[in-house]
Amino acid sequence: MAGLELHGVRKAFKGVQVLDGVDLTVAPREFIAFLGPSGSGKSTLLRIIAGLETADDGEVILEGRRIDTLPPGDRGVAMVFQHYALYPHMSVRENMAFGLKNARVPKPEIDGLIEDAARVLEINELLDRKPGQLSGGQRQRVAIGRAIVKKPKLFLLDEPLSNLDAALRLRTRVELAQLRQRVDAGVIMVTHDQAEAMTLADRIVVFNDRRIQQVAPPMEIYSRPANTFVARFVGSPAMTIIPGKLQNGSGHAAVRLGDGALIETAISRDGLPPGERIEIGLRPESVRVTRDGDVATTTAKVVLVERLGERSLVYAQLKDGTEITAEDSGLSTARSGDEIGLKIDGAAAHLFGADGTGYHRQDA
Amino acid sequence: MAASIQRGRLPWWGWIGLVVGAAIMAAPLVWTLLLSLKNNAELVGNSGAALSGPYTLENYVAILGNDRTLRWLLNSVIVSLGTTVGVLVLCSLAGYGFARLDFPFRRTLFTLVLLGLAIPSQAVILPQHQLFATLGLHNSYPGLILPGLITSFGVFFMTTYMRAIPKELDEAAMLDGASRFTIFWKVILPLTVPAQSTLAVFTFLGSWNDYWWPLISATRSDMYTLTVGLASSQMNYAQTSGLGFLMAQAVFASIPIFVVYVIFQKQIVRAMAGTAVR
Amino acid sequence: MRAAARRWDGLLFVAPFLLLYCTILIYPLLKGIWLSLHRVDLFGQGTLVGFDNYARLIGDPTFGQSLINTFLVTLMVVPVLTVLALALALALNRATRDAAIFRGIFFSSSVLSVTIVTLIFRFILAPDAGLLGEIWQGLGWEPLPFLSHPDLTLPALAITTIWWSLGLPMMLFLAGLQQIPEDMYEAAALDNAGKWTTFWRVTLPSIRRTLILVVMLQTAAQLQMFGQAQLLTAGGPSGASRTTVLFLFEVAFGRWELGYASAAAEILFLIILGVTLTQYWLTGRDRESGR
Repeated sequence: MAGLELHGVRKAFKGVQVLDGVDLTVAPREFIAFLGPSGSGKSTLLRIIAGLETADDGEVILEGRRIDTLPPGDRGVAMVFQHYALYPHMSVRENMAFGLKNARVPKPEIDGLIEDAARVLEINELLDRKPGQLSGGQRQRVAIGRAIVKKPKLFLLDEPLSNLDAALRLRTRVELAQLRQRVDAGVIMVTHDQAEAMTLADRIVVFNDRRIQQVAPPMEIYSRPANTFVARFVGSPAMTIIPGKLQNGSGHAAVRLGDGALIETAISRDGLPPGERIEIGLRPESVRVTRDGDVATTTAKVVLVERLGERSLVYAQLKDGTEITAEDSGLSTARSGDEIGLKIDGAAAHLFGADGTGYHRQDA
Repeated sequence: MAASIQRGRLPWWGWIGLVVGAAIMAAPLVWTLLLSLKNNAELVGNSGAALSGPYTLENYVAILGNDRTLRWLLNSVIVSLGTTVGVLVLCSLAGYGFARLDFPFRRTLFTLVLLGLAIPSQAVILPQHQLFATLGLHNSYPGLILPGLITSFGVFFMTTYMRAIPKELDEAAMLDGASRFTIFWKVILPLTVPAQSTLAVFTFLGSWNDYWWPLISATRSDMYTLTVGLASSQMNYAQTSGLGFLMAQAVFASIPIFVVYVIFQKQIVRAMAGTAVR
Repeated sequence: MRAAARRWDGLLFVAPFLLLYCTILIYPLLKGIWLSLHRVDLFGQGTLVGFDNYARLIGDPTFGQSLINTFLVTLMVVPVLTVLALALALALNRATRDAAIFRGIFFSSSVLSVTIVTLIFRFILAPDAGLLGEIWQGLGWEPLPFLSHPDLTLPALAITTIWWSLGLPMMLFLAGLQQIPEDMYEAAALDNAGKWTTFWRVTLPSIRRTLILVVMLQTAAQLQMFGQAQLLTAGGPSGASRTTVLFLFEVAFGRWELGYASAAAEILFLIILGVTLTQYWLTGRDRESGR
């Protein structure tokens, strides 16, 4: 039996469509990340699952039971809010007990559940404090604790790490990963941070423009993006996507760029759409700045060098003006204005048809 | 306190102005206090006698032995407390409704409530008087309390305050399985305590000091509030036991409000800040 | 079904207030308009007379006098009160203990009821037994008959009112001054602006909204002046200090001419409504221009 199923979920706000027929099936205990730019509908979908918004159309089914007609408290889901939404006037213990009291759980059982959760989250010392006396990280744990004690079938996390500073975010990310091993429930996390999604999720759901663009495990999203949007959105810096001409021939496709360079890909010619117009996608790591003795695929003029320490990113322009991002070692000598040679690893290239659909090598 | 405080030093003439002004403000109060401490007979035809002793508490003793004044005090306490509690309950409920819930005609109804800010109580006094006469509510506590519960400002104030509370809290409570009323009672209401106390102080002071409605509604002297009672003593000055006693009544009647004022100064200042920048 | 139920239950929260509000305020407001178009007294149910009551009011010198008195006393009170309160707020907008004490003194009279205030002032202004009389006599002058001379009664009401009402506008101005960001003063200082320039160019424009609020609140309050006139001078001598509300009170509860009094009440309502709308318009325009 599936954990969560969404069928044809639609939602419009004041005539503006924000979700347009979303279908999704989530396995029990699966960790799913909703990834997408703001306004892509991912938060709205999370709120529809939680019951904080009502869908105009469609069904939400959790463990075989239709829940979109139930009030939020009866759905068997728990949510961690972006700003935690801890009740400021209640102690940590009261915050965690509130939902259980509303569900008329007997007092001794409530105490036991809170003790357990507090031990797991290491917040035993904080139980009698008010949220105002806690640090950001501690509030985050309490918010998670408040969700855990309810033993939900599904956790909903709304940008749970966005309010933490960079160092704490990394640590909490690790803790979230450990936590999900301990709970017997699925997790859906909304985020716009791809690193968060890549690290934590079993599968990522990429949203854009009212629709799901791709549902796949993190590495597949990275190496086999379904379309140009996913290709550009996931990966940092973004994939370079350049128009080119598909060459005739059989076997693997070869593409000629605007500046005349020819790139031999590892993608079979067969499945590609007809016609010669195509776009080629190159991640920076498959475009290297050449050294003495290397054979360059093409040459380019450096616009900007971004030095990251262990490597450098070189933003350059091909002879026909097309912009391309390349990678070089940390000790790169390239400076803006320099002419450099680029060695393009065609075997790692991606192709995109006119409608944006992605084509990838078979084994990637 | 913002940093804009302490803008330069006050020049010497500024201080003189302040001291003179404060003296003018305080003189009537001191004068009243002195008069209230004098023997009535001494003051007849010579109120200047108040500037020197001997002083006595006999007027205050007389008040405590005066059933009528004590009855007015009791009435004032009942009416003011009743009004305050009623306003808090009604305005909190309405404020929550307007701030958080969606129902038909919400905007229209809110506008209707705001219209009340522009309706002076004098403009509706006649039909109000008739209405309360029909209901037989004159010379009764409900009759004295009910008109005081109609405060558009209170609803507006609570609505604004509740709107400023993050909606995420309501949503968290909804996911915690709380009913509408539980959210209101357990989550939102406890967070409005500062606003409640401000509204309470203002309602209490306003009700205690109200002259207009009790003057019209309470026609039997045993249902007078202190404010109206004092007015009647003042007009019957010739028949009362004298100037000292009258002033002692005035001081006596203002003690509760001064106590409230001193205790709740913070709320008053905060309410001012809220009104001035709205 | 469920969604519809949830929509209506919101009304339950606002219903208690709204029911009372409509019964005790809106219904009387409408009934008042109805009354004003009828001739009603204690005995008659009332006959429709159209705008007769209004026409009678316009022709009634007592009413005209009361309107003039009300406007005059408002004119005496509001400017003085506003300037004094602003000056006090500017002087006391500092965090010292002295300033706090002064603020307390200047605000203290505001918590008194009108009955107490008039009681106190009766024995200050009365020439025979009042404090002012004593002082005047001490200086060898003839005490002024504040409460009995036709030219002095309105100023007497104004003085009493200013003493009574000074605290509230002062506090409002103080709150307004607190909102001015410090960097505006720093910018003015960098531009070598003098004290007066800073006041006119920085302080005053920044508290524009508070200024409008104070003027309008005070105007509305003074146009409704009643207790001072009734208790201090009883509107006398011969109507020289009768305010509109006192007129309304006498007609309604002395002569029981309900229709006639209602017409006066409606005129008062229109005047107050005008003041409120003016304030709304002034501050609303402010908001649009992005302040």
